[in-house]
Amino acid sequence: MKKLKIGSFLSVVITLLIVYSLVKWGIPAVSREVTTLPFPLPVPGTLMFFYMVLTLVALFLMVTFSEEGLEDFLRPVKKFLRGGYGKIPRAVIMLAIPLLAGWQAYEITVPKVEAPAALRIQHPSSNFPKSFEAKKNPFANPTDADIDAFVEQAKANEVEFIPQVQEDIDRWSEEVDPEHILEFFPVAPMKALLAQLESGTVDEETAKAALLEKNLFEGRALYAMNCRACHGDSVAGDGPMADGFKLRPINFTDNGTVETIVEGYTFWRVTNGGPGLPTEATPWDSAMPEWKLSLTEAERWKIILAEYDMAQKTPRIPEAH
Amino acid sequence: MLPARKIMAAGFATLVFVCGSGVALAANKPSKPMPEVSDELLEQGRAIYFRRCSFCHGLLGDGEGPAAKYLDPRPRDFTLGTFKFRTTQSGELPTNEDLFRTVSRGLPGTAMQSFDSDLIKNGLSEDERWSVIAYIKTFAPEFDDPDLDPVKTGKVLSLPANRAPHNAETIARGKIVFEKAKCWSCHGKLGRGDGNKEFRKDDWGFPIRIRNVTHPWKIKAGSEVEDIYMRFTSGISGTPMPSFIKTLNEEDRWNLANYIKSLQHTLSSHQALKAMPVDGALPENPRDAAWDTAEPMDIRLAGQVIATPRWQNPSIEMVTVRALFNDEDIAFRLTWDDPFKDVTHDEAKEFEPVEIAKVGAFNSYVEANGMVSRALETFRDSIALQFPVKPPQGTKKPHFYRGSSSDQVHLWVWKADLDAVGKRGSEEGNARGWKQPIKPQSEDGQQITGKAEWDQGRWTVVMKRPLKTDDKNDVQFKKGVFTPMSVNAWDGSNGEHGLIMSLSTWQYVILEAPTPINVYVYAILAFLIAGGLGIWLMRKVENEVESVEPDV
Repeated sequence: MKKLKIGSFLSVVITLLIVYSLVKWGIPAVSREVTTLPFPLPVPGTLMFFYMVLTLVALFLMVTFSEEGLEDFLRPVKKFLRGGYGKIPRAVIMLAIPLLAGWQAYEITVPKVEAPAALRIQHPSSNFPKSFEAKKNPFANPTDADIDAFVEQAKANEVEFIPQVQEDIDRWSEEVDPEHILEFFPVAPMKALLAQLESGTVDEETAKAALLEKNLFEGRALYAMNCRACHGDSVAGDGPMADGFKLRPINFTDNGTVETIVEGYTFWRVTNGGPGLPTEATPWDSAMPEWKLSLTEAERWKIILAEYDMAQKTPRIPEAH
Repeated sequence: MLPARKIMAAGFATLVFVCGSGVALAANKPSKPMPEVSDELLEQGRAIYFRRCSFCHGLLGDGEGPAAKYLDPRPRDFTLGTFKFRTTQSGELPTNEDLFRTVSRGLPGTAMQSFDSDLIKNGLSEDERWSVIAYIKTFAPEFDDPDLDPVKTGKVLSLPANRAPHNAETIARGKIVFEKAKCWSCHGKLGRGDGNKEFRKDDWGFPIRIRNVTHPWKIKAGSEVEDIYMRFTSGISGTPMPSFIKTLNEEDRWNLANYIKSLQHTLSSHQALKAMPVDGALPENPRDAAWDTAEPMDIRLAGQVIATPRWQNPSIEMVTVRALFNDEDIAFRLTWDDPFKDVTHDEAKEFEPVEIAKVGAFNSYVEANGMVSRALETFRDSIALQFPVKPPQGTKKPHFYRGSSSDQVHLWVWKADLDAVGKRGSEEGNARGWKQPIKPQSEDGQQITGKAEWDQGRWTVVMKRPLKTDDKNDVQFKKGVFTPMSVNAWDGSNGEHGLIMSLSTWQYVILEAPTPINVYVYAILAFLIAGGLGIWLMRKVENEVESVEPDV
């Protein structure tokens, strides 16, 4: 049996192909397994270039290490150039290489049609008014007076809701005929408040938690009416209108969106929308409305309260100055 | 070498396939059947329903939540026990798995979105979805009746055991079924939902939009062959869509599903519209063969939800644009699907958004039914191209919604009613923000020509104008420059007029500049140098042979 011997020229070619395939397809395939993301992570072009140059240098060192090595490497090349593998293959390859070189030169120099890419600052601060920075959501931190007023309403069984949800509550109330209007809340804090109302003593903490539930309920309704079409009821920026906008609506469940900003900033963005953005944030591509033209301050704050809650995020705490 | 690469490629392909199909399955099928209904399960479901569902479906499950009036299609009324998307026989209740599928993957093109925690971060786990389904079933007494249980009574449909592949042959057979079963009488000969000449109403009294089956992103219960097969096997309850289980055999239905699948449009993905150079005159006729040489670009549109009156039920969600130019002119051809040709306009019926335009008004959105007339012969169909007036500096542009007081836009507005009576269909105008209506340019400034056509549920409109004009309020086109462009669109019988419309954000149009001569010079130089080197090497080796050989 003759031992299969691969010439040094062929092994150089094979090594180059293996390294190229590994970087081009192997690493992205492994990256999917490692990151469990639904897409592969491609190796950047510059890194690919770097790997290939390193491989070439190593191969060059190997081939030129000894006179015999170089001889061994050049033998098939010379044989080919002499026409030792046939005149026709020589002619084909000798024509193909210059054609490839010409095509590459054309590819590199020909002007490409690529839309101008806009760099966009997501959370610009150049025109963020200082007065907004310390703003607190009044519904996340109700005053004692607010809580007392709510308890009084609950005691009298005359809780006031925003008009947008009133109609639905009325129909529910008519159908179910409850002892207390707040019974439609299937949540622990509201049940606790109702139990305390029954017993006659209401503590501040319970009342505060129950009031928060009421505000969240109203905020969610306002969100569903005003924001859902773009940001989605998932609050993931995937509402029915989302595909129509090049700049997709923000996904609030993403890290790095609403939790990296103070609530005053969120309020400013909701209030002034796309037109309120500075140039570095490409206001011309933003579909975010100027909600101050349609929603009251209370409505905007309630929406923000619900938005953070649905996204299971908390706003950044402003630094003390 | 070859086998190794083949193995790697095959391995990679398998990996892609496994991951891809894994994602698709996650949303469709539960890993276990619905748990036994208990008080705890219902209480858990009630809490989830209250947080996630009640704003559309209502506290009573009657589909009358605070957001419901603004939505088309309306949120489902659970109290009636009528469900559209089932795998059960016509008129039957859905299975638990049917409800699970709808809750998990949502209904594309509607406000009902996916609630699968594998697909969205704050979604519901499988157990949570089962609990909310258990709660939803308490709204309709039908679910308590064992005689109506589709599983116990054997009314569940299954997919055919022998499924023909999706290929040219099954598609051709499906087309014959499409003709025979008269699918076109509602869905139109080309599937664009234009078969009916008038609106029909569903069982709930709301106007029916017949599905344009060529837009897969609007197919509510899934756009795969299996989903399509199931729709005409089960029918869609509450609508005129019947079950074809008795009239078409399994094979016919499967072939038909293959045919419908083949009609689905694939969206183009490029970001810039390439206007193609033409020798001689530009076509004004929408059917001119010259248009076939131009590359089409699909532009997605959304409802105008940026300012009052907001509209989240747009009819036109995609416009396909092509462009041609010569040394003098540029011509755009816009195509979009619209099942009804609306060529009249009644200004008296236009909506005045005064009541909903105040701060703190109940809602700034237009109700789906009632506020505006969504009827035939009321409002015109219309389309507009929008460009910035000032040449863009860097990426800076006017706002895509009609610019602003400091940065005006130029609009080319085509109106079907004008075109229909033989007047000039396209009018040039300017806008500085959405608060003021588009201001038409003077009669001398009107330079757009072109023809329009409505055929089989599709408008095709051509707008042609000189590349350069003398008007300082006009957009000017230059070769090799990316000009921003966006679209506004109105479907009259969908109640759209004024700011009740659909619109796109900025795209680009580019007039291809001729390739500079030095590109060819470089390519030829590279060819000559590489070729010369090769020949030199060849000669050198051959000479070497001659000089070396005598010694061997």
